[in-house]
Amino acid sequence: MRLGLHPGQKVADALALAPDLVTVEHDPAVDRAALEALSDWCVRFSPAVALDGDDGLFLDITGTDHLWGGEAAMLADLLARLARWGVPARAAIADTPGAAWALARFGARFGDDGQIAPPNGQRALLADLPVAALRLDATATAQLPRLGLYRIGQLLGLPRAQLAKRFGLLLTLRLDQALGAGGEALVFRRPACPWLERLAFAEPISAPDDLARATGDITALICRRLEAEGQGARRFEVTFHRLDGKAMSVRAGLARAGRDAARLTRLLAPRLDVIDPGFGIEVVTVFAGDVEPLSATQARLDAEAGAGLDETLAPLVDRLVNRLGEERVWRADPYESHVPERALVRRAPLAAPSGAGWDPDRPRPVRLFRRPEAITALAKVPDDPPVQFTWRGRAHRVRRAEGPERIGQEWWRGDFATTGPGRVRDYYRVEDEVGGRFWIFRQGLFGGDEVPKWWIHGLFG
Amino acid sequence: MPGSRQARLVALKGRIAALEAGARTPTPVLRFGEPAIDGCFPGGGLPSGCWHEVMGAGLEDETAAAPAAFVARLTRPLLATGAVVWVMRRDDLHAPGLAGLDFPTGRLIQVKARDEAEVLSVLEDALSTVGVAAAVGEAEAPELKAGRRLQLACEKRGSFGVLLHRRPYGGAAGRARTVSGSSAFSRWRIAGAPSQPPPGDPGLGPPRWRVELERCRGGRSGVWILESLEADDGPHSFRLVPQLADHDLATAGGRLRIAG
Repeated sequence: MRLGLHPGQKVADALALAPDLVTVEHDPAVDRAALEALSDWCVRFSPAVALDGDDGLFLDITGTDHLWGGEAAMLADLLARLARWGVPARAAIADTPGAAWALARFGARFGDDGQIAPPNGQRALLADLPVAALRLDATATAQLPRLGLYRIGQLLGLPRAQLAKRFGLLLTLRLDQALGAGGEALVFRRPACPWLERLAFAEPISAPDDLARATGDITALICRRLEAEGQGARRFEVTFHRLDGKAMSVRAGLARAGRDAARLTRLLAPRLDVIDPGFGIEVVTVFAGDVEPLSATQARLDAEAGAGLDETLAPLVDRLVNRLGEERVWRADPYESHVPERALVRRAPLAAPSGAGWDPDRPRPVRLFRRPEAITALAKVPDDPPVQFTWRGRAHRVRRAEGPERIGQEWWRGDFATTGPGRVRDYYRVEDEVGGRFWIFRQGLFGGDEVPKWWIHGLFG
Repeated sequence: MPGSRQARLVALKGRIAALEAGARTPTPVLRFGEPAIDGCFPGGGLPSGCWHEVMGAGLEDETAAAPAAFVARLTRPLLATGAVVWVMRRDDLHAPGLAGLDFPTGRLIQVKARDEAEVLSVLEDALSTVGVAAAVGEAEAPELKAGRRLQLACEKRGSFGVLLHRRPYGGAAGRARTVSGSSAFSRWRIAGAPSQPPPGDPGLGPPRWRVELERCRGGRSGVWILESLEADDGPHSFRLVPQLADHDLATAGGRLRIAG
């Protein structure tokens, strides 16, 4: 400022004023990423954080300010923390996003600290602000002062119909939104969710035992709330906020909605070793997702006798899924496809059964190879099953054979080369003289460009 | 005094047996429905609350198709009371194939473990869970201690444990790890056997297996040919095939037991 620099100045002009100025190319993607990181950090103040344009954040602090002992203390804490990390920021609290936006960007000129509009008091505060504080498009912002309308207060007295006609509906909409007469939808970075609990420590913690204990405490908090409201959740995420502003999370999923804190803690505890406490952890938050109503259940003495199969299996499935990962635990369900390798779909073990079944008239092997293996086969007549074949260096003399079952590829899935007649398979079920049962096929048709080849695709037990 | 020494030994053996049984109630047994086979087991059938080793013969120790089919048939009656957890390292188990053996795949939970140790620990976890009627693990022969842990897990809820010995893919043939002694109740060796279709049918008959009971705690061993029984033909999974004219078994020598 002292040198005569100001935002929006051309680089050449600025360099002329200050020859040793360091200039950096504007990189919107990096700015965006930084803003998103900041918004993730802001979750410690409220779970509902929305990005605003390129340089702003909205925090819906309804119901969370009491954790700091009031709005003023919360705002001061937020600004002090941002200042400590060298993030220049201005903030304001108001009833509506529009009013808070205006006060944060234009109200702070009259004072250094964040401004807090008293409930329903935004009208008086906004009246003095320039019309640019209304988040209008560029033409309206430029045109209004030309007509002598500098302050928002001047607009409030004018007839709305005329204003809308002249400057577009956006103007009245923004006015209503700022004053609370019109609604405004914010797109929060994570879905607005009241299922958040927070635990702050007087002293930062870092010992692994302390982390485990804090995890137990915070899951107990959220589970108590879930139980009080008759709800259960299927996803839990515990986030550890470090002193230096980094946040690390551990997650646990349940096969059915639950709220058993002890079980959750057991699921989460083995994952805590990825948490690097750094200089210490000052805040722990827990977030419950996929919340659904769950009727109260009483722990029964004869739990083994009366409990349904799924209820007793759910803890096992949870343990396995959380330990091995979701893709390693499954139940195979039928899928409508005649191609053998596509005929099943993996589902969560306790998902509702589909009720369909596989065709019992088409025998399928017990072991199906992921990739068919090439075999050399001898057949008397081209269209016959082979009389002998060699697989993995061992010759098998075919004693009995059944087939063929002709299976074509699904032509709607790919181009002609991968699904055309060259890919038709003739499957035979054959048994060798010692009782091994194999599922072999011949791919391709005689008379085509390629000579048909033999493959083995699976084993019947 | 040899007489009193003998009596003391008998008394001690009785006490050990009582200790081993603990407060266990007599466990339900899985019957084959054939007196020739059921007679080999001390309780008249394969007991729950124990684990059993199943291995394949020859090439089957790597592909493990016939043992898997046999285990599916064997555990099928148990599925009325709970789920089956099948733990493996290679996910080539094909559910439609099991469904073809009348195995209710809706109650089958498949788990793909990352290594041998994980197979055993998941198996142990599953066996000690209420609602799991049987658990099958595909691994190499476990160490003595791991086997003992499996036994304790089985006893907890009376589940039926099966360890399907399987050589890892690409592992050297014939060099399977051998562990002398095991806490398994029984050890089976399964191979395919030529099927016999009904007269006049050109195709394959119902699957048959050459089943060898190699070891059974407190019981006898034996070799049989078993055929898969259709669901309409009774509650049992297998039918014993009379083997008087079978070449393979004639060479197997004196261990052959002649049925009925």
